[in-house]
Amino acid sequence: MSIEKMSSEEIRSSGMKDDKLVDEHVRLNEIKHEPTKGFLQAPLIFVFVFGCLIFVCSIQLAHTTNDFALHPPEEIIELTPDEKEALRIERKISSGEKIFAARCASCHQTNGLGIVGQYPPLAGSEWVTSDPGIITNIILKGLKGEIVVKGETYGTTAAVNMAAVAINDSEIANVVSYVRQAWGNNAEEIFEDEVASIRADSAEKQDQWTGDQIISMYPESFAK
Amino acid sequence: MNNIFKFAIYIFLTLAFAWLAFFVGAKNQYGDLEPTSQYLEENNSIPKGADLFPQSMPGVAQLGAKEYLSLGCVTCHTQQVRTIDAGFDVERGWGKRPSVPRDYILQKEVLLGHNRVGPDLANIGLRGYTREWLHKHLFNPQILVEGSICQPSPFLYDISNERSSGAINADNKADDNVSTIFIKPSLRANRIVSYLQSLKQDYELPEMSFIETQDEDDTEDIKLAEVGTAKDDQVGLPTWLADQIASGKEIYSKITPGGGMCVACHLPNGLGQPGAIPPLDRSDWVLGDKERLIKISIHGLMGEVVVNEEKYVGVMQGFGQPLGSPLNDQQIADVLTYIRNEWGNSVSAISPEEVKAVRDSEKDRELTAMWTEAELQKENSSD
Amino acid sequence: MKKTSEQQIDQSAKFAFSFFVASAGLWLLAAALLAYIAAAKLTDPLFLSSWEFFTYGKIKISQANAFVYGWGGNSIFAVSLWIVARLSQSPVRGTIFLIFAGSMWNLAITFGLLGILDGHMLGHELLEMPKEVWPALFISYLIIAFLILVVFRSRRQSVTIAPQWFIVAALIWFPCLFLFAWNGLEINAGRGTLQSILSMWFGQNIIWLWLTPVALGCAYYIIPSVLNRPIDKYYLAIFGFWCIAGLAPWSVVHHLEGGPVPMWVPAIGTVMSIAMVFPIAVASTNFHATAFKDISRVWNYLPLRFVIFGTLSYTISSYIGVIFSVPAVAKLTQFSIINEFHFNQRVYGFFSMIIFGMVYHILPQVTGKEIGTAAKNFHFWTSALGVFALLLAYLIGGLTHGVLAQQPSLAWINVIESVKPYFLITEFAFLILGFSQLVFVLNLWKVIVPNPFSCCEKNLEQKTA
Repeated sequence: MSIEKMSSEEIRSSGMKDDKLVDEHVRLNEIKHEPTKGFLQAPLIFVFVFGCLIFVCSIQLAHTTNDFALHPPEEIIELTPDEKEALRIERKISSGEKIFAARCASCHQTNGLGIVGQYPPLAGSEWVTSDPGIITNIILKGLKGEIVVKGETYGTTAAVNMAAVAINDSEIANVVSYVRQAWGNNAEEIFEDEVASIRADSAEKQDQWTGDQIISMYPESFAK
Repeated sequence: MNNIFKFAIYIFLTLAFAWLAFFVGAKNQYGDLEPTSQYLEENNSIPKGADLFPQSMPGVAQLGAKEYLSLGCVTCHTQQVRTIDAGFDVERGWGKRPSVPRDYILQKEVLLGHNRVGPDLANIGLRGYTREWLHKHLFNPQILVEGSICQPSPFLYDISNERSSGAINADNKADDNVSTIFIKPSLRANRIVSYLQSLKQDYELPEMSFIETQDEDDTEDIKLAEVGTAKDDQVGLPTWLADQIASGKEIYSKITPGGGMCVACHLPNGLGQPGAIPPLDRSDWVLGDKERLIKISIHGLMGEVVVNEEKYVGVMQGFGQPLGSPLNDQQIADVLTYIRNEWGNSVSAISPEEVKAVRDSEKDRELTAMWTEAELQKENSSD
Repeated sequence: MKKTSEQQIDQSAKFAFSFFVASAGLWLLAAALLAYIAAAKLTDPLFLSSWEFFTYGKIKISQANAFVYGWGGNSIFAVSLWIVARLSQSPVRGTIFLIFAGSMWNLAITFGLLGILDGHMLGHELLEMPKEVWPALFISYLIIAFLILVVFRSRRQSVTIAPQWFIVAALIWFPCLFLFAWNGLEINAGRGTLQSILSMWFGQNIIWLWLTPVALGCAYYIIPSVLNRPIDKYYLAIFGFWCIAGLAPWSVVHHLEGGPVPMWVPAIGTVMSIAMVFPIAVASTNFHATAFKDISRVWNYLPLRFVIFGTLSYTISSYIGVIFSVPAVAKLTQFSIINEFHFNQRVYGFFSMIIFGMVYHILPQVTGKEIGTAAKNFHFWTSALGVFALLLAYLIGGLTHGVLAQQPSLAWINVIESVKPYFLITEFAFLILGFSQLVFVLNLWKVIVPNPFSCCEKNLEQKTA
């Protein structure tokens, strides 16, 4: 009887019984090691393709796993000493700018001009641009009494008193370097160890500086 | 193969090996991953005082992440910028740099996604969309982007035909007078928008710096311009709220008499000083109980307080004091509304009436008697 | 051991098999409905948009879950129960426990889907159902799998053959996978994107190590059984099996290529998924070399026609999948709607087609009733048409999507505009598929469930008389 005329039922019952199906395949499993016709060719091709693929895959793996590191690879750019120096200063200044914005700008303003009659300007101020020790000392201990900045007198009401809040040497170095180079100021930077030595020099001092004390410490800065 | 137990063990091992590598192996690598500064010192240490990234999301945004998840947004939106070798994401302006594992280390629900029927959202907070724009897009994307297939979520909004305070014009017609659809965002909508605005990878990390694309014209910006969105953040606010915030900002930062002088201690960024002055930014005291906040601003606060699980010891003057220049109810309401809506904060405004009510209820208290934390807590629990 | 006749085995499996197939049919319809709603929402975003229950994301996710756990789970239980019993020549035992656990499974999925629609979903791929339902799902699964394995243990011939490997392995894989994923996502939750790796690993492995092996096992059984000739090049089958077992758990993470995970994770995934050509080649050689020796029988026996359609679709689209995992291509297609192509190909074009064939093969033997040839033919042709339209739309649409998306100058909305026509095609395809599945399920229920109206009709006749 041709297949076309058989019903589903008939096709199904003309199929293999399950016990025969199991036995047949078990038998096939057992004879798999005996070389038979058509058996040899396929595995050879398989072994060849398999080998090629493993080869390609390992090359791909070696190229893409990035040494099993957590972070993606970054192009390592060899910086010249000059560039390194520029990058260091840039980072120092930007860190100083943040400290300034957080701690100083509320009085001295972000433009460094202060408030007339209340808070002295930092931009173009001889107190800032001459010796870096001046503002470092002021930041460390504070300042009271009257001072004259850029020809204007500033009063006693608001004393700088950063000392109340802990600030470390590197932060001071950063913020001092920033104010000495911002808003048209063009003085050289100050380093952490310099700050440390200034801190050590005035370690005994308990009260704030006065303007006169500062001027007497750095006479050449105020000579003009 | 014929012994089921042996077979089961083999089957288990095939999975276990992959799991060991992908989970246990990767977990070890992730183990010591913590927020870090944008660049490191020469000896690979974090510079002192540097800000650490990624920063944790504000609380309201974390709630927004849950809403985002529950609505199924992740089905169409990814939150990852692929490396430049693997994709076009940076060129498309979806990020300043590829995302790295560290970016997600603080997120509770990491919703990377793997379908982009909609654009990537890893840096949606950087693309200059205002809150109003995002609300309108959530309400009905088609009025902003013609032809968008993003699903509208009108159920997140109160819809009315009349203009009212706090409502957003969500009609096709831009003119408020002609428009007939005004929407008021629900709490959930606000959370989702806060979450979206907090999604940004706008910092560099030691392992990944920004990538400069040749095409400087940001495509997303052009798109923004096309749909005519104003960039000013305050535009989306109703006038009364914008006024309150503007006036509050002035009081907050004014150090001359008549101002609040808040900025002197709490700083322009609202972060305060560790150990001495508590932060206002995402502070549980600022975002939490209004009454407590008003009480403190009138009478001041002294002694030890715990804010965001950190201890602070200090003294804060009250601004109801006769000394100096006391602030009136309106001014206190303004400055409190401002701090509740600045930085990462985004919660309800405080009205002068509320301040007055607190002032009246504490009439008998001497104006110089500062609160202590214990006292405030007692008051709260007795309520 | 005393030999049990095939009829006795069929009789012992009748009740449990009918129960699982009937509930699988209902889930299939639920999934078809959800799939259509989701597709319709993409073409018209305003469709049902005012109701929070029906956001696109929720519908899409609950459709995948209804499909995989509802239709997939129930039909896996049904066919593996029967095949394992027949090949072991040992009757099914503990029908009452099977029915009990099956009801628990279905109930848990129902609550899980309602939970998703109500907004309580988890953020892990194919683990989205709320936490509370998983213990019930897991326990009911263990009961069912245990009872099937008990039948397997009491087999007459101790040496096992290909269909048994695949089906038994799938039964063991699922709980292992679940425990691994649950441990890493909920108990000792990994930090950051570690969650994404694990969730991707679980979600893809559910397809690769649960649905796929069962369907392959079915094909390994029905082809020699109906054609009355053993599998051609059968000695390769064991190689294919261990290749899938060894490679699939590694290959699935290639979808994370370029993402914020350690680079070696997708790198291994990519290499392993390229190596997947071997198990695919083995399976397709086995199936098609056998089937093409007697193609007229395949064509005339409809269940086998379904199965061969499934295996052909498996071969072709698995190769397409391998191509799309190559990094240079993945760059374009990674996040495009090609992902929909992969998922729908695997669940509709491959798994479901084979299960349809198996159900048509088993049902008459178990119940003694045959489904009408016309209905079966209608089901086959509409399914084939629907699957073709669906997959073609997703494939071409996905390529368009990927290629256009990589042009930064093209605004995103323009990219989506050009994909829209394909979304329209998928909507029609899902409509056709849904209709064809409705016919299937109606016939299924007609055979399984005795007509409740037959007695009423008798009553009516008596009354009128």
